[in-house]
Amino acid sequence: MSEEYDAVIVGSGAGGGMAAFVLASKGLRVLMLEAGRHYDPYEETPMFTPNREAPLRGSGTTDKEFGYFDATADGGWQMPGEPYSSAPGSEFMWWRSRMLGGRTNHWARNSFRMGPYDFKPHSRDGLGVDWPVAYEDIAPWYDKTETIVGVYGRNDGLENHPDSSPGVLHEPPAPRVGELYIQAACRDLGIPCVPARRAVLTRPIDKRSACYYATGCGRGCSIGAAFQTTTSLLPMAMQTGNLTILTDAMVYEVKVDDKGKAEGVAYVDRKSGKHEAAFGRTVVLAASAGETARILLNSKNAAFPDGVANSSGQVGRNLMDTVGAAMSAQFPLLENRPAYNEDGTMGLYLYIPFWLYKEQARGELDFPRSYHYELGADGRTEPGMGMGGIADFAGSYGKQLKQDMRRYYGSFLSFVCRGEMIPNANSYCEIDPDTKDRWGIPTLRFHFKWSEHELNMVRHFQTATKEIIERMGGVLQSGDEPAEEVISKGGQIIHEVGTTRMGDKAETSVTNQYGQAWDVSNLFITDGGVFASKAHKNPTLTIMALAWRSSEYLAEQLGQRSL
Amino acid sequence: MSNADDFIRVDRRTTIKWLAATMAAAYTGCSSEEKYLGDEIPAAQRAPLLGVAAESDGVAYGGDPDRMNPVVPWARTMTERQLKTVSRLADLILPEDERSPAASAVGVPDFIDEWVSAPYAQQQEDREIVLAGLEWLEQQSQQRFDRSFAAADEKQLLDLVDSIANGTSREFTQQSEFFRRFRWLAVGAFYTTEEGMADVGYIGNTPIAGEYPGPSDEAMAHLAGVCKQLRLPIPAGQTRA
Repeated sequence: MSEEYDAVIVGSGAGGGMAAFVLASKGLRVLMLEAGRHYDPYEETPMFTPNREAPLRGSGTTDKEFGYFDATADGGWQMPGEPYSSAPGSEFMWWRSRMLGGRTNHWARNSFRMGPYDFKPHSRDGLGVDWPVAYEDIAPWYDKTETIVGVYGRNDGLENHPDSSPGVLHEPPAPRVGELYIQAACRDLGIPCVPARRAVLTRPIDKRSACYYATGCGRGCSIGAAFQTTTSLLPMAMQTGNLTILTDAMVYEVKVDDKGKAEGVAYVDRKSGKHEAAFGRTVVLAASAGETARILLNSKNAAFPDGVANSSGQVGRNLMDTVGAAMSAQFPLLENRPAYNEDGTMGLYLYIPFWLYKEQARGELDFPRSYHYELGADGRTEPGMGMGGIADFAGSYGKQLKQDMRRYYGSFLSFVCRGEMIPNANSYCEIDPDTKDRWGIPTLRFHFKWSEHELNMVRHFQTATKEIIERMGGVLQSGDEPAEEVISKGGQIIHEVGTTRMGDKAETSVTNQYGQAWDVSNLFITDGGVFASKAHKNPTLTIMALAWRSSEYLAEQLGQRSL
Repeated sequence: MSNADDFIRVDRRTTIKWLAATMAAAYTGCSSEEKYLGDEIPAAQRAPLLGVAAESDGVAYGGDPDRMNPVVPWARTMTERQLKTVSRLADLILPEDERSPAASAVGVPDFIDEWVSAPYAQQQEDREIVLAGLEWLEQQSQQRFDRSFAAADEKQLLDLVDSIANGTSREFTQQSEFFRRFRWLAVGAFYTTEEGMADVGYIGNTPIAGEYPGPSDEAMAHLAGVCKQLRLPIPAGQTRA
């Protein structure tokens, strides 16, 4: 491509989509390169199709890990011809979505703000590093992002779980039986249990409809209620006339000129296998924490022998994922309960925010950071192959089994831990010296290890959960094994961040607070790579808020010709 | 899903050993499988009572299948006699009653064939367990009742199924694992049909205009009763601002 753009954006998910929207809206000429194929959720979303119409009743397979109807059009834990590896002693799982809109097409839409403590964790407990920004710096960007994305939730004035400005949030949907039951027990135990925040509309925004409370968001949403960039930021950016999108364009290198400025990117056309280049006055990387680090580490030249923007040696380092664990229980008192439409928003309704900050500050807990609960109370939603688990529980067959199925369906609830990981020296990614993908591009090798901080957090979650289950008269079914066994694998929660972290010093971070590379002033990063810590809050909302802020800064600097 | 797929993973070698033993017994007509454990019978000499399922064709749907027009791209592989056994066992597990039809009336046997014929690792693992288990049932039926499993008297079959269904018998550990896995498949297949969903009272997959209404009055009253029993605060539902 010979044309020079104001900005070349790599990736079309949360970070790339937001950057494209902001920059194109400001009149900049933007080129977006997406490694995967074009994808149109208005044409390709199987709304209402029951599981029985899919092969294997829609069960996950190695071709479609999250089930046949999952929106992921090309991607997963493994992709043919595009390997990655884990170092001996590590097992890291890397989810990739090769499609327009990336992972925003199928994500859970859970959208929690990071709070004041989350941006200054080192100041609070001496571990990890502080962000170069405080919550107050980001708060207005959260408001703007939530307004355009559409997030349901409620302002409860909780410690370290900030409220949004008035009028920003959508009404949360009425909770269901399972959530209300857990909430009643939590009230009794002095544990908060409040409406969760999800990027699902309960009132329309422009052409996007309010949720109509049916069909899983993971399939994508052809009415635009569940947020994905392909029904919002990307069409809005296209409408300006300033955005060009090129799909099947897999970027593998940032090209720099002899003055050390980024001049564009090199990419492989995945359809033809041809190597091409695109040029711009600025380059914005939003390819995902792993892929962005890979691109930078593979961008080696005389000026940058260790990879572009890596004078600190921090590219690929500080890899973090959310701490995951789960417990489930059966509740005899929910047996044979009255039927009603429990589909709802097909996702999180109520959650338990971390409630022990004071105890933690007093040194009463044996772990330094926090977690939240996501409550699984969708017991009477559409049957899938998991129904077999109820039969295992019942242990019967014949007419007795049919009665048991009616009795137990909807009597199970699950409790999911989402916790903060502290960056450690054992968790990072690097270029694997032995492996290349099918286009000859060197691939990533991951190192990953949890520390006692995370394991102790999981143990605390297990103890607290058993207390809740007991108060509800439930019978624990799973998740009480040793913490080392139940804790998720690195990457498994698909919240990998930190590999190009921001900071206030060029020596210890890759970018400044605007995602601007310390070493290359016209190179920006707007994906989860810039996270200096991994709060327990799900990262996508923060990726978008930071991407908006960084893009405004980029446009301003470009206008002043200071890039 | 809160009802996790906590399926049984049978050690692959154990299953294959069991399969070999089952086949050996089929070949000699001997009822004692213990005697043949570990014995290698040349494949050509095996004469399974239910016939030999076709090889899986290995056709997968790939990472980007047409989600708007789903099709199963691989061929079914079970023999007719295997399918008849599947049908009989599925109906013993899920018989017709006043609320819903029997498993065989809503396509459960065909789905189990679809499942064990699929090219993926999990399904291939299940394939070994299921095919061996079906053959074992047929042997037992022929030896004990002198009738095929598909045609035997229901009362007799229930005795046979009981011996592997409760999972407490040490003698039939592997057979119990087969039964558990088969039931898991049959139940998943059955309750995802329209008839099965209606049976358990699934209500949904239908668009709602306006606000999500939340639980019905009846459901809330039930919950209030639950909380009262546990001396928990009675939920009022969520007051909307």
